[in-house]
Amino acid sequence: MGVAKYTKNEKGQITDVELQSGIHVKTFYGPEDLERVGFSYEKDLADPGQYPFTRAIHPQGYRSRAWTTRQYTGFGTPYETNERFKLMIANGQTGLNVAFDLPTQMGYDSDDPIAEGEVGRVGMAVDSLRDFEVAFRDINLAEIGTGLTINAVASIMLAMYQAAAEKYGYDPKVISATPQNDILKEMIGRGAWIFPVEPAVKLVGDVIEYSIKALPKTNPVSVCGYHIRESGATPAQEIAFAFLIANAYIDNVLARGYDIDEFVGRFSFNLNVFGNLWEQIAKFRAARKLWARNLKEKYNVKKTSNMFLRGLFGGGGFGLTKAQPQNNIMRGAYYALAAALGGAQTIALCSYDEAYTIPTPESAVISLRTLQLLMDEVGMRDTVDPLAGSYFIETLTKEMEAKIEEESEKIEKMGGIIPAVATGYIQRLVSRQAYEFEKGVQSGEFLKVGVNIYTEGESKEVELHRYNVKTAEKQIRELKRVKRERNQRDVKRTLEALEKATKAGENVMPFLVDCCRAYATVGEMTKIFRDVFGEFEEPGLV
Amino acid sequence: MTSLVEKILNGDEKSAARLISKVEEENSGAYTALSRLLPHTGKANVLGITGPPGAGKSTLAGRLAVAFADSGRNVGVIATDPTSIHTRGAFLGDRLRMKNAEKKKIFIRSMAHRGYPGGLAKAAAGAMYVLEGLGKDVIIFESVGAGQSEKGLFLLCDTIITVFTGDYGDEIQLLKAGLTEIGDILVVNKADKPGAEEAKKDLEAFSSRVNTPGDWHVPVLLTRADSGEGIEVLTDAIKRHWRFVAESGKKEQKKKEKLGLLFIALLKEEFWQRTQKRLKKNRLFKDVLSDVRSGKTDPYSAMQKVLDSLGTTNI
Amino acid sequence: MKAKAIKVLIAKPGLDGHDRGAKVVAHALMEAGMEVIYTGLHKTVDDIIRIALQEDVDVVGLSIMSGAHVPIARKYMQKARDAGIDDKMVVIGGVIPAKDIPQLKKIGISGVFPGGTPFLDIVRFIRDNLTHA
Ligand SMILES: Nc1nc2c(ncn2[C@@H]2O[C@H](COP(=O)(O)OP(=O)(O)OP(=O)(O)O)[C@@H](O)[C@H]2O)c(=O)[nH]1
Ligand SMILES: [Mg+2]
Repeated sequence: MGVAKYTKNEKGQITDVELQSGIHVKTFYGPEDLERVGFSYEKDLADPGQYPFTRAIHPQGYRSRAWTTRQYTGFGTPYETNERFKLMIANGQTGLNVAFDLPTQMGYDSDDPIAEGEVGRVGMAVDSLRDFEVAFRDINLAEIGTGLTINAVASIMLAMYQAAAEKYGYDPKVISATPQNDILKEMIGRGAWIFPVEPAVKLVGDVIEYSIKALPKTNPVSVCGYHIRESGATPAQEIAFAFLIANAYIDNVLARGYDIDEFVGRFSFNLNVFGNLWEQIAKFRAARKLWARNLKEKYNVKKTSNMFLRGLFGGGGFGLTKAQPQNNIMRGAYYALAAALGGAQTIALCSYDEAYTIPTPESAVISLRTLQLLMDEVGMRDTVDPLAGSYFIETLTKEMEAKIEEESEKIEKMGGIIPAVATGYIQRLVSRQAYEFEKGVQSGEFLKVGVNIYTEGESKEVELHRYNVKTAEKQIRELKRVKRERNQRDVKRTLEALEKATKAGENVMPFLVDCCRAYATVGEMTKIFRDVFGEFEEPGLV
Repeated sequence: MTSLVEKILNGDEKSAARLISKVEEENSGAYTALSRLLPHTGKANVLGITGPPGAGKSTLAGRLAVAFADSGRNVGVIATDPTSIHTRGAFLGDRLRMKNAEKKKIFIRSMAHRGYPGGLAKAAAGAMYVLEGLGKDVIIFESVGAGQSEKGLFLLCDTIITVFTGDYGDEIQLLKAGLTEIGDILVVNKADKPGAEEAKKDLEAFSSRVNTPGDWHVPVLLTRADSGEGIEVLTDAIKRHWRFVAESGKKEQKKKEKLGLLFIALLKEEFWQRTQKRLKKNRLFKDVLSDVRSGKTDPYSAMQKVLDSLGTTNI
Repeated sequence: MKAKAIKVLIAKPGLDGHDRGAKVVAHALMEAGMEVIYTGLHKTVDDIIRIALQEDVDVVGLSIMSGAHVPIARKYMQKARDAGIDDKMVVIGGVIPAKDIPQLKKIGISGVFPGGTPFLDIVRFIRDNLTHA
């Protein structure tokens, strides 16, 4: 039943519930439970907007501002992406989010043999500054914020964004980009890594450090518990690993002599939402509290607003099914409810058809309406943190907090998150869990409506974006032209400077910006990193 | 299988790979093929790598393979992984650790040990002859590394490297690991980790007390298999040991001895397999076994009884 | 002669890094008593062919989530023919639309297992369709 483990007696009554994080749920809760977990209003809850922000980071919660929504876009060539962007802005969207194709994510140019068949397939292809110039033409970069969903070469894409903005006459100080820039989670879950752990984390640090001075409105890192969860982590592990990863990035920047309050306020998180409803709500509440405590107690953060856990709660793509796809609309509604009751500031819902196709405009509207319904129709904005004081929710939040800390201590004990990722300890742990979970779904231990229970009706067939060979050909032609027409001396000079800086361990960002201005390609810049840093040695299954 | 042998001698990797599989299947035709390959073997330098799980054996094997290939040798690697006793399946994970060797197109073969004792798979010797037939003049074995008996390695290799890490610092751990007596070269890998220096000192003290035949002095070396540090010194030591073995005239003599031992080991296994099959069908054996289990008979008299009934001929 | 243990190569061709599915299937096959090699991420078709050849695996499983399954399958089968190992069973898993299955079969792929296929179906398919020489 659901994603938790249920034990029943002969009569079919539930005798035990064990949540994925390993917490057991009782039949009912009362004051003695709060006492058992040592709950205190001041320490554990406090008023909304008060440390430790368990209830909300704003005193007014959704009364002052409803959560915002965000959508993921960007397909094909920069020309097509530019059209899409302009359309979305015309429809009132205030933020863009760029998806990149796999060659770009892996630092290869479109004409590299290894890119064959992948150019522009899962996102926009980017080879040189020319592509960003096209993608962001006629878009007001002083007003629009742009998410760059890229990690291993986030530094290059941010540099390119700056170079493009400058080309259009914007002061870098006014532009706002949000590169994902979370390489450790790629090593745990999404697999778009290139360099070994240490230089990869150093690059993350370079982006953060550079943003402090040069790009003050940029959010230089978005830590994704999201993908860690999708890879098989429990909700408690999702938060524990995400915070350890964030701390690793913090430590990298602190070691360069900065004050924590100079940069940590710009960190954001991307957390997942599928699973047991109560567990998710408790997870978000506990996470807000633990992050604030981590920053205050471990890092001595002074400024209150820097202790906020900011970010996007949502997605839940893993929970969606191809079977009985309309059910995904209801699933999405419950996921949104979990995020809203958990106090999310930004919610993004996967469209109900995302499990099998490219979301249609209609399905995207349904997602949006789902959120608006919660907000405007059924009363989600009425009061802040409506579940506060519930014997169950407060007990569970405390227990979740303890679980997250327990998971985090396990990693600390083995030397910290960096060796835990480098040696593959976490990858093995989550893939083993993913296997056990999958077995549970197949055996019917974990119930999934439409999949292993109430299975009548047909499954939707998967439909993929049609791959356009012409797109790739066009992109490669453009790349060849740029390479022909650019000033080769500038390219050589800036690339050599980048190589020197990379070898010397300097912050590579200013050098990358110069390379981008000279129309050096993503492949050329990444090759320098590959040669100097080497590649990540992927850990095995056992 | 005639053509298979010819193709292997002409350097065809696919045929070599197929014959190794047939040896694993215990195909009798494969044994004939092996006997035809045997005249072409015996010249390769055979290196064995053993050590506790996770010490870095595969990473080191990959590094050494590349180092020898770069110096013009033709290298083959045979990596052994444990078979699960519960599922009888196996993850053959060593290969993933040998990324650099993979890039150099070195022939790598993974094998599950399938419960065969001695650190290597039963087909290991056969695979070695196949690789030699293929023209490999350096063959590197990675043992399963469970740290028990490494007899298989001892039978096949000219030089055995035992890999430790700082975690195996004190002597008790070493003795427990039960590996040091067969190391010609001891390596403390993960030199970047705490405890490596101490482990090296302990091992040096230990190796100076171990009685080594002839005058080979067992060196203890620090390496970082992940970055390649210390590999040059290690390859030098390996080459020194090869020279030592060759010059002392021991290589030839050892090879012959080992062939004899290999024959006996193969025969012993085969005898046991066949006897086991017979026993499974043997009424008396079943009765005696249940008597032993229920305490009616003691194991010693039980053994006598079964032996008497089997007789000594007709196995 | 002994029954041979089934040896499987689980491969991740191309640049896509989503490996949850590949790893989960590797676990399932191992638990079903097979000997499993996992290539790790970002492998070229040439890499995969070489490993399959040297290891003489019985089955090559390609896990593809990016949508590029048809071109990758075509390239794999071409190169497998060139290397003389096109007699090995090839199966594909990942995000695979049903309408592409006939095309994949025509290219020479024996079995197609879209995400969510029960492990037992995969294990049974391999066992039933392997013909040992
Ligand atoms: N820090 C460090 N890690 C290393 C070194 N050598 C290998 N490793 C890492 O140690 C882990 C285990 O390495 P393997 O080569 O697989 O070890 P193994 O002894 O072959 O392991 P099994 O075959 O499973 O017994 C891997 O994550 C390697 O990257 C080293 O010198 N230093
Ligand atoms: Mg190994």
